[in-house]
Order: sequence, then C-alpha cells, then structure tokens
Amino acid sequence: MSISLSHLTKHYAKTRAVDDVSAEIKHGSLTAILGPSGSGKSTLLKLISGLEKPDEGTVTIDGEDMTHVDPRHRDIGFCFQHYAPFRHMNVAKNVAFGLKVRKRPKMEIDERVGDLLSLVKLEGKAKSYPSQLSGGERQRMALARALAIEPRVLLLDEPFGALDAVVRAELRQWLKELHGQLHVTTVLVTHDQQEAMEVADQLIVMRAGRVVQSGNPLALYESPATDFVHEFLGPSTIFEGEVTRPHDLELVSVHQGQMKGRITSIVSLGFEAQVTVELSDATSTWVQLSRNELSAMGLRVALLVGVRRREDVDG
Amino acid sequence: MGGGGALIVGYLSIIVLLPIAALISHGLSIQISTHGSGWAFWHWHVSFGFRAFWTAVTAPGSRSSIWLSLWLSLNVAAINAVMGVAIAWVLVRDRFFGRGFIDSVIDLPFAFPTIVAGVVLLAIYGPSSPIHVNLFETWMGLTLALLFVTLPFSVRAVQPVLASLDLESEAAARTLGAGGLRTFLSIVMPSLWPSVLSGFGLAFARAVGEFGSISLIAGGIGRTTTASYYIFNLTAGFLWVDAAAVSTALLAISLIVLVTTNVVSRHFQKRLL
Amino acid sequence: MNTTPKWALRAVVLFYLGVLIGLPVTFLVVKALGHGFGPFWSEVTQPNALSALKLSLEVAAIAVPINAVVGVGAALLIARHKFVGKRVLDTLFDVPIAISPIIIGIALVLAYSKIGWFGAPLTRYGIKVLFSPLGIILATMSVSLPYVLRSILPVLTEVGEDQEQAARTLGAGRFRIFWNVTLPSIRWAVLYGVTLTIARTLGEFGAVLVVSGNITGVTQTLPIYIFDSWDQRFDVLGSYSGALVLALISIGVLAILAALKRREKNLLVDFA
Repeated sequence: MSISLSHLTKHYAKTRAVDDVSAEIKHGSLTAILGPSGSGKSTLLKLISGLEKPDEGTVTIDGEDMTHVDPRHRDIGFCFQHYAPFRHMNVAKNVAFGLKVRKRPKMEIDERVGDLLSLVKLEGKAKSYPSQLSGGERQRMALARALAIEPRVLLLDEPFGALDAVVRAELRQWLKELHGQLHVTTVLVTHDQQEAMEVADQLIVMRAGRVVQSGNPLALYESPATDFVHEFLGPSTIFEGEVTRPHDLELVSVHQGQMKGRITSIVSLGFEAQVTVELSDATSTWVQLSRNELSAMGLRVALLVGVRRREDVDG
Repeated sequence: MGGGGALIVGYLSIIVLLPIAALISHGLSIQISTHGSGWAFWHWHVSFGFRAFWTAVTAPGSRSSIWLSLWLSLNVAAINAVMGVAIAWVLVRDRFFGRGFIDSVIDLPFAFPTIVAGVVLLAIYGPSSPIHVNLFETWMGLTLALLFVTLPFSVRAVQPVLASLDLESEAAARTLGAGGLRTFLSIVMPSLWPSVLSGFGLAFARAVGEFGSISLIAGGIGRTTTASYYIFNLTAGFLWVDAAAVSTALLAISLIVLVTTNVVSRHFQKRLL
Repeated sequence: MNTTPKWALRAVVLFYLGVLIGLPVTFLVVKALGHGFGPFWSEVTQPNALSALKLSLEVAAIAVPINAVVGVGAALLIARHKFVGKRVLDTLFDVPIAISPIIIGIALVLAYSKIGWFGAPLTRYGIKVLFSPLGIILATMSVSLPYVLRSILPVLTEVGEDQEQAARTLGAGRFRIFWNVTLPSIRWAVLYGVTLTIARTLGEFGAVLVVSGNITGVTQTLPIYIFDSWDQRFDVLGSYSGALVLALISIGVLAILAALKRREKNLLVDFA
C-alpha cells in the first residue's frame, strides 16, 4: 500500500510542526523518517495515521484520499514509544482487542492471537499482564496487537527509544526480519541514524518541520545534500573547509599530508580509534583509524603529523 | 462532548452558580430595574444597597464573630502548615510499621461527619470530661476542632510534592557538609513552600467555614461565636438578608485569601519545575 | 537523617495525631458502647433514628451517582480537551469546598425557596425546596461535588492519551474507548472518589440544617438527628449511638480507601 503525502502543514500555536511536506512512500517498503527532536517527524507520523488532522495538504493511501478519515477507518497499525499497553488487560486480550472491535468470532480470535504471539515470540506470556513484561516484550506485544488487524500500513513512533542499547539492537534486527517476512508497508520514526541506516530501505530526513532529503540510505550517506544531512547521518569533521567523514581521512608523515598538525588526543574505542589533530590553520579535525592502523603507526600525543584524504579504492 | 459539557455546566449552575449569585444578590441588596416603557429594556438600572449590607456586616455580633473566625483560622492554618510538613515528612521519608495505617488515618477528618466530631470533642473536652479538661466555650476548644477538620488539607497539599522531590540534591548538600536541619531549610523548603502555602489557603478557607464540629463546644452566643455560627443564628431567626450580607462578606474574605495563596503558590511552583 | 531527630519527629507526629484523632475515636467507642450493646442497639433502632438513617441513605443514593457521573465527565473534558473557560470550570468545582456549608444552605434557600429567585415558578409547580427532602438533596449534591473529580483528574492526566489513541487506531469508537480503555485505567481512582463522596454525603450537616428546617421524622438526616438528640433533648446516649454508627461508616470508608490505595499507589484527593 503506497502512501502519498502532498504539501502537509500542521501548526501548533505559532510554530509549524510540519511545514509543506511532500513525500512518496513505496508499497512494501520500510521507510524511516529521521530527524532531531522537534523536527516534526512524530507529528508527520500522526498525520499519516489520522490521530492528528493537517491544516493544509493531503494524505493519500493506496490512491484514496484519507486526509479527513478517522484513524478507525484507515486500516493502519500504530506503535507508540511507550507501548501504550492496555494495562488492565492481559497480553492475549491486548492483542485481541482490534479483532474484538471488528466482532470476529471467538475461535478465529483465539487462533489469530496464538499465531501472532508465536510470530513475536511471546507464546508463553498470553496470560501475563503488561506490567509483568520487560520493555522489549511490551513492544513486541504492541506490534502483535497492531498486526492483528492486518493493517495496510504499519506506523512506528520511536518504537525502540525507551529501551536499552542491547535490546534496541536486537529488536531492530528482528523488525527488519519481520518486515522481510510480512512485507507490510512500514514507516518508522526515529532520531537514531544508526537505526535508520540499519533497518530502512528508504530514508526521509527532516529538520524544523521540513523534508531536507529523501531516498536510499546509502545514497544519502554518500551524497548528502546539505551539511546538516552530512552531520546527522554519520560522523563528521571539517577538513580544508569542507564537511568530511573522518574515515575518509588518514594520517601520514608531515610532508605527505595535505595539511599539517599536532595530535592533541588519541581515543581508542577498541574496534577503532579517534585521533584528534590540531591543524596549522588553528582548526581541529579528527581522523578515524582502524585498530591495526593505530598499532602500526605508533602514534602519541604532541606528535607532528600530516593529514590527507584517503585515495579512492578504485584509484 | 459538547452536549456533555453543556449538561455539566447546567448542573453546576443549578447547584453552585445560581445559588451563589442569589446569595450575593440578596446580600448586597442588588436590584435590577428597567426604565423606559415596554421594549426599551436597554435602560437598565443596577443598584445595590450598600447601607443595608454594611449595617449587617458591621453589627457588633457580626464584627466580633468575623474577627474570631479569621483569627482562629489563621492560627489553625499556620499550626497545621507546620504539622502538615512534619506529618508528610514522616509519611514520605520514614519507614516504620504502621505507616500505611497512619496514612489512612489522615483521611479520617475528610470522611468524618463534622457533627460527630463535634459530639466527641465536647464529650472529651467538655463539662463532663473524663480527663478533666474542660474547654467548653473556650477558644482552645474551637481550635482543637478546627485543627482536626483541616488536617488532611495541610498534609495532602504537601505530601505529593514532597514525594516527588529529587533526593539527589539533598544528598549533594550532605556531601558538601550540610546537616539535617540546614539541608531541610535551604534545599527542601524552597521547593516545598508553594505547596505549603497552597495547603495554608485551603485550610484557612475550610476553617473559616467550619460549623458542625464547633457548634456544640461553642455553647450559646457569646465569646465563642464564630462567623458561621452567627450566620446560622440569623437564619434561625429568618433574617435571610442579613445572613446573606454577612455570608457575602465572609465569602469575599475567603475568596481573596484562597485566590492569593493559589496564584502565588502556582507562580512559584512553576518556576521550580 | 541521623536517628535522634527521626525518633523525635515520629514521636511528635504520633502524639499530635493521637490527641487529635486517636483520642476522640476511642472515646466515642467507649461512650457509645459503655452501657453495653443492648442500650446502644435500642437507641439506634428507635423509629426516629431509623427514619433519619433511611433519609440519609436515600439522599446518598441520589447524590452520589449524579456527582460520580458529573465528576467523570468533567474530568474527561478537562484532561482531554482544550476549550475556552477550562480553568473556570476546574475552579468552579472547588467552590463547595472553600465555602461554609451554612452559606451554601443559605444560597440554596435564596435561589430556590419561596423567598428566593425561583420561588415563584417553583411553587407554581408544587416544587418545595425549603423544609423538604429535595432541598436536602440539592444541598448534599452541592457540598459533595468535587471529590470524584479531584480523585480522578490527577490519574487521568498521568495515564495520558496513548492507550486511547492506540484503541482508536485499532478501530474502537468513542464509547468503546471510554468503557474498555479509559474507565478501567482510572477505576481505582473512581472508587476512591465515590467512597469519599458517600462519606461526605452521609455526614453533611450545616447545609442540610439550614435547608431542612429540622423537622423530626420528615427532614432529619442522621447527622441532624445526632445534633437534635444532644441539643434539644439532651439525649446523650442517643446522640453517641447515632454518632457511633456514622463513625463506624466513616471508618469503614477509610478502610476501603486504604485498600484502594494499596491497589494503586498515590491515590489521594488533590485540591491544591
């Protein structure tokens, strides 16, 4: 189910949370709307869901104009950052809720709930209450609940934001696999660029209510349209007046470098090292080196070095 | 939702707004008359009988009873402001067996019929007191009754705020050398006082209006007649307009105190969040 | 906190509460049952006492549900909607708490009795407010107005709209959302507020005294009966006995409130 957004605008008090946003979301894709806090991404998601109504513009799902349609009738699944579990219902009843609303027969509901719980690996927890589940389990329950109604579109509002790093990474991977299995058009809002890069096949980068760039994640990473996108999508540093990727720079002997400078700090992160160099033009840049490079070069603070761009692999 | 809202407003009008309006209107002897004939009712004339109002309010009995109510309520609100913090502290920060019980007991004056409190207080501290403490027709007796009745307001205003205070800033003060009392005064109280003030205002308003629990221990008309009792006596004599006048005056005073404490407390509470 | 101040504070607090609350309650029990259960029971089952209890319960049966529904409705409006005059609505609910019940009684008389604003039209339809159960009901509804709202509102605000929005995306309509999602999320707070309302309703004295005219058997609620026994008839035991019944109900109420607080932490009536 493809989604088409056209000139969407939403005001809150005096600010435009969403400012003339247009985008196309392809059928079956996993799209990430990425941006810092306050960029309007959650609002945009709520506009797509119908939980908020736009002041201007249209939302078209599968060719039908849904701009003023109540979320009840949009056939969408929505997952919240804090899971929004129905606390007084157990897991099975939570997942069954949408089906009960649609008055499906009990046998069908029971079967479907069972299938979904298996899908999200919560089989043993049907009778548990949300308060007895971990954060990751609650979010999986929320997902099962949303999927129960066989939505055309799945919308996720910073779904892993409240979880710790390890669980986040696990669930990211799991979501990607799930999407590969089910092929539901999915839109995910996040401020975590690593998450977006890992999971999405389409990116929409937002800032201050507007879309800054959209497209394939790798394409955005390699050819960012603005400095903001460049800095937001990956590590950045400034070299020769340009915003550059630290792993595109290397350290060489003083006369081989495009610029000279003195090392001011060396931080080893285990798998990589970050070397900060104060350059002769009084600016500071940092270079990313692999573990091997670091140990091979015998670097230390206050050493004079040269910095230059790495050659392209293809020469 | 609009329909429900209208119903609620209608209900509130019937049981709160209209009666209060009628009270103030009678109390101030407000009269609305129209001049001009027939449909020319834009010539409205609103007059209010200040003299009648003033006479009723400044009658000797009225003056002394209002003064007594204000004085007692101020004292009681102040005492319970202090005790409220102490009790809230023990409930929030301390752990001991029976804490939950004490917490529930605080609600007793809320749930207790005022007349029952009055009967009991008179029995304990009245002429036939078993502990030989006779507070019949004394200000002390009235004070005890009012302390009982206003206690929950003082405690519950402070309790949730105290519970939500950041313990870390107090721990930081202690690592910097501050003792218990100093930490309390310079770290806790600055964050707590708006809610203490708010509780003070509520307790004050409640005490000014209290009737049931003091009706018995006050005895007859005399030194221990509070404003509510005085007003009640006016109604027993069917002097409704005078009763309305003094009531309006009392309302105005309570309103001023309540609004002031509320506004000040809310303003400073916002700055602290 | 080192231990000496801690124990001192505990002692002060316990002493204060003991004198203020513990002593009266114990005393009441002693006095009412001091002559034995028999006399207590005969006092309590006297016809006037029973009809006073009956009237109190009838009034409660009307006032409590109405204030519960109004309280829930107003809480939903205030917590979930934006509209002009929201603050005013919120403040209006606190008016009955801030005013003397005597004054509320007078206000009702001046609005609805023969001598009041609506006196003429009401008497034409035969509706009697002064000296009648209707007046008592109005007075009771007025004084017990805010308890449900003030118990629910903090919880409703804290729970937030996420669950309701989730239900909306799952296809639920307004009523289902209210009944299956919103109401269950506040159910303990509702019970808390309703319990307090019942207590307040049964115990109301001042406003009812003004409005009812204190006619034995007809417009006497139990609190009035207790006052009357003492004040008019010097029937001390009758007064104590009635008082004990009400006190027991209050304590029962408290026990319920305590049990509810254990179910959901931080339940309290928030007037601040």
